[in-house]
Amino acid sequence: MSAEAAIERRRTRRLTHFLAQNVGLVLALAMLVMAVVLYGAAYWIEQTALPGMFELTSTVNNTMALVLCGMGQAFVVVTRGLDLSVGGVMDLANALAAVHIKDSVGSMVGWSLAILAIGALLGLVNGLLVAVGRLQPILVTLATLSIYQGLAIRVLPQPGGSIPPVYSSVLVNPNWPTALVYVLVVALIWYAFRRSSLGVSIFALGNDEQAARANGIDTVRAQIAAFTLSGLMSAAAGLFLAATATAGDATTGNGFTLSSIVAVVLGGMNLFGGRGSGVGVIAGAFVTTMIVNILFFSNIDPLYQSFYEGLFLVIAVVLGALISRLMRRRSR
Amino acid sequence: MSEGPATASGPTAPAIEGIKLSRAFGGVQALAGASFSARRGEVHALVGENGAGKSTLIKILGGRLRADAGEVRLAGGTVELDSPDAAHRHGVWTVFQELTLLPWMTVAENLLIRREPRGAFRLIDRARMAKEADAVLAGLGIHNIDPRGLVEDLSLAQQQIVEIVRVIVQDPDILLLDEPTSSLGENEVEWLFGLIRDLSSRNKCIIFTSHRWKEITDVADRITIFRNGGELGTFTEIDENRAVTLMTGQQVDALYPERPALEAARPLLEARALNGPGVSGVSLTLRRGEILGVGGLAGHGHRELFFSLFGAAPTTGGEILVNESKVRISNPHDAIGLGIALVPEDRKTEGLILPMSVGTNLTLAILPQLSALGVIRGGHEGRAALNMVGKLKIRTPGLRNPVHQLSGGNQQKVLLARWLLADSHIVLLYDVTRGVDVATKHEIYELMTSLAREGRAVLFYSSDAEELAHLSHRVLVMREGRIAAELAAPGITAEDIVSAAVREATSIVG
Amino acid sequence: MTGQFTRRGALGLGAAGLISAGAAGGVLLSPRLASAAPDKKFKIALSNSFIGNKWRIEMENVFKAALQMEPFKSEVEGSWFNSGNDVSKQSQQISNLIAKKVDAIVVNAASPTGLNGILTQATERGIVVVSFDNVVTAPSVLKVNTDQVAFGKQLAEFLVKKMNGKGNVIMVTGVAGTTVDEDRNKGAEAVWAQHPDIKVVNRYTGMWDSATAERNTAAILPSLPQIDGIWCQGGTDGVLKAFISAKRPLPPTAGEAENGFRKFMLGYMDHKVDGLSIGQPPFLSVISLELARRILANKYPKKDITIPFPFVTNDTVKQGETVFEKLPDSFFTDFTDAGPNATVKLCVEAATDGKACSGELNVNLPSA
Repeated sequence: MSAEAAIERRRTRRLTHFLAQNVGLVLALAMLVMAVVLYGAAYWIEQTALPGMFELTSTVNNTMALVLCGMGQAFVVVTRGLDLSVGGVMDLANALAAVHIKDSVGSMVGWSLAILAIGALLGLVNGLLVAVGRLQPILVTLATLSIYQGLAIRVLPQPGGSIPPVYSSVLVNPNWPTALVYVLVVALIWYAFRRSSLGVSIFALGNDEQAARANGIDTVRAQIAAFTLSGLMSAAAGLFLAATATAGDATTGNGFTLSSIVAVVLGGMNLFGGRGSGVGVIAGAFVTTMIVNILFFSNIDPLYQSFYEGLFLVIAVVLGALISRLMRRRSR
Repeated sequence: MSEGPATASGPTAPAIEGIKLSRAFGGVQALAGASFSARRGEVHALVGENGAGKSTLIKILGGRLRADAGEVRLAGGTVELDSPDAAHRHGVWTVFQELTLLPWMTVAENLLIRREPRGAFRLIDRARMAKEADAVLAGLGIHNIDPRGLVEDLSLAQQQIVEIVRVIVQDPDILLLDEPTSSLGENEVEWLFGLIRDLSSRNKCIIFTSHRWKEITDVADRITIFRNGGELGTFTEIDENRAVTLMTGQQVDALYPERPALEAARPLLEARALNGPGVSGVSLTLRRGEILGVGGLAGHGHRELFFSLFGAAPTTGGEILVNESKVRISNPHDAIGLGIALVPEDRKTEGLILPMSVGTNLTLAILPQLSALGVIRGGHEGRAALNMVGKLKIRTPGLRNPVHQLSGGNQQKVLLARWLLADSHIVLLYDVTRGVDVATKHEIYELMTSLAREGRAVLFYSSDAEELAHLSHRVLVMREGRIAAELAAPGITAEDIVSAAVREATSIVG
Repeated sequence: MTGQFTRRGALGLGAAGLISAGAAGGVLLSPRLASAAPDKKFKIALSNSFIGNKWRIEMENVFKAALQMEPFKSEVEGSWFNSGNDVSKQSQQISNLIAKKVDAIVVNAASPTGLNGILTQATERGIVVVSFDNVVTAPSVLKVNTDQVAFGKQLAEFLVKKMNGKGNVIMVTGVAGTTVDEDRNKGAEAVWAQHPDIKVVNRYTGMWDSATAERNTAAILPSLPQIDGIWCQGGTDGVLKAFISAKRPLPPTAGEAENGFRKFMLGYMDHKVDGLSIGQPPFLSVISLELARRILANKYPKKDITIPFPFVTNDTVKQGETVFEKLPDSFFTDFTDAGPNATVKLCVEAATDGKACSGELNVNLPSA
């Protein structure tokens, strides 16, 4: 065998390795492309035009919160856990933002940081209960979900408060898709996480807790860190939610617990831990928004909308599982 | 504890010592005041039955377990090895029996975990990591493991090699290996022993456990025999029968029972030009009362052959005959119905339901016979199971105990007993003695010959060529999915099997 | 692709220019655009949040019915969307409505504040936005609603009159923490404060649900003295059924618009109650639709509307119009207003099936 052939073989093997090891990510991206094409087609049929800047901007702005909390959820899912308190942390962040953020740079920066810190703290509480208390993540976060929601209602009993317009336009500018920058930042956070010691520890924990420990990894610390990151990201999601709404409501985060899990699943992450990509989760978050758009422009009877949403999800998950099984078999 | 004797320290002191070490798990005393020492430049084997305390000792020396009593000394000085990291700081590294690889990470990530090369912003440089891993593997003569592949996709032997490499690259002063060869083929074992000899020539200390006597005598300088959590003595020269007698505490005349006489009987199981993933054009005939051995290097289609005969792996062509009539076996349920049984080597994932009781596991295959209207009749289950426990000498506290409490050999016997209960007349044994202690091995051999004597047929793959040579009426040697040679008794030797297997064959190392 | 973007960009710039012109010219922007193409219909969309109860279904049905009746049939191209109680989804749907360039959006919001951002963007683009029922706080959005404080007051005043200013009442409240519940209670308390001889002997929640109200009433009734009046925010028929089961006489009752309650006002199962029945009318959607249509046609100023509650008493309750013996007790019978000064009159088919009624649909908005 010639040297070139060997190099060529190696290169194709590298590609198949990448595909096989990142089936979830590849599928999530493919799904996003498909969804965007479908949306474009439905939009064209309805409007005889293609979606433009406004559509891009509002889609990105409306998806940012899910991108962030989905990423938070991803950190926990990697450890083979689930964080049901995501919605509660978002509620509290949202409420605090609406009540406290005033129209001055100091207040905006100061309170944003404070709220992020509070989110991380709430995540830390989850992490300590799960890792040190050796409790089931679902039970712990189901309980803290109610607690965090309760705290949020105390902070902002009635929808109201306000977010300074400057703050809103920095986070989610209504006229330009500047929020894409934040999507990029979230992707970079994942990229760095994956290449950090913390990332290795959290992934190792999700692979096999015993083996991780045998490799000298502090699995307790890794688990706590995963929940803390989840809390931090959820708080950021709450800030974006408040910025898009321009005001606060201590209950609007509730639905995000489930949506974040949906984004994680559509993003091709394995709920049994240890496998998956946060970039896929970003794609997954955008796919959920795209589903809303596609159904909107295909003139589906609104009464059947959730039926179709569910159908779309099931098809996506089943197809994903089938394709990934096929790809893994071929790569062996 | 008082200070150790001053004379023991200094360059003449043993490299590593365990002094009166004890450790209990629940009510079981795994290690009861055992002492042990090994020198620099020596290869030291620990032998004993499963449960004799070897693995516990290795775990304590490697910092994975803490002793209830006793102390560990390195070069004469008492040390506190309370974590694998602590042991590593003292140059003590362990290849544990159960794999500690992370399945969904790449080989490179596993090899270099916590020592990853860093690039910009202190982030892990993956390209460099793959290159370093490549260099490490190539440097140790391993060519068939791609550092970019996932560990999950490697064969058991390849995983074991990665596990060994991971420790070797740390350049250990004292290397502990707990049954490192149990999933390796002959070539890989040779490769490993090459590494071990090289380390010992560089004045390192190597301690390993094994159940394969030939390996032990091949590579070990000294042998320490364990029984019931204590050491019985350390030997430089000891013959196998004496060692087995010491290990088991009972006289063993011969490890291998005599082959049952083979009469010209009708074929019970035939395969004709069987094709499938990993298997190409395999034909074989298995007669009543015959023990047909299958040998060859790991990864050459034995596993696929056995599993497709049992309906647990797909076939793409060829036919299977049972009692001289063509049959369709598309799943294990079909196979069981035809009286075919399979005992796989990987008990944990492919045969037993570990948290369930011994009794339930025994009767799993005959539940339909035992139940009335879908409800299992407890009494029957118990009686049938109890008979079998006695017959096979399964060492269990009771039928209600979960299977995972038993030792590996006894788990294997539970699986065998299940099929005997189900009255299977074609028994496929896939490497059942791997990692099983000598005494239990002996019992399994006797069981095999008695099966053949009863008129059942045994198809039997083993990674141990000695075993094949001593027990089989005929041996089929597989290479790259085909039957490469057929050897007939008497006069089969392990060397014949190995040389037939390695001819032109590629292996992981070399 | 680039060409498309450029064209849309140009459109965007044009729209921005128009918006600023519109801001200068006041409310007249949209009508001007509309009159430029007189044969073009107004695109008006209903964005509803969740569709999980009878009231919301009726609300959407009467909206659909109105679209099939004149003048809406020839002037309006209507559509409707549900998002569930998911603020992001409703926000995204409203974005899509903006993209679709509707002329007006009628919205029942999932959150009073959660949609402010996107709805403000809509009004900035010259879209008329009318919120109703669960109204939003964004200042540029018009609100169509009833006065919940007045609701509580009106119920309480009815009881005061029937009881001659003296006696024991129970208050069955709604879902705690909502503005509607608080406002209604506030209204009632203001009335009690003026009549010291009225004693509120108990106060508990019925969760605006007949079954819950019946269960809670049954549990608490044995401990109560004689009751001279029932003040109930919702689930009124349930409260009365609990009284009947406990073999208590039915005192004067002021409650919601459940069909079951009104059946008792007619005399039902041999029980008759002297009652006042008021409800949050599902036809708020139709009022909002009409408000949007008139603003687009330049026939009405941009202003909030508070409509009076449609109510019936024993004198005005009428089988086939405001109470229906054949329909379930849980049906909200206030789908239509009654009387000579009615805001809007609808037939029962409009509420149950979203079918058009005969004739034109006249909506009497308060005089401009």
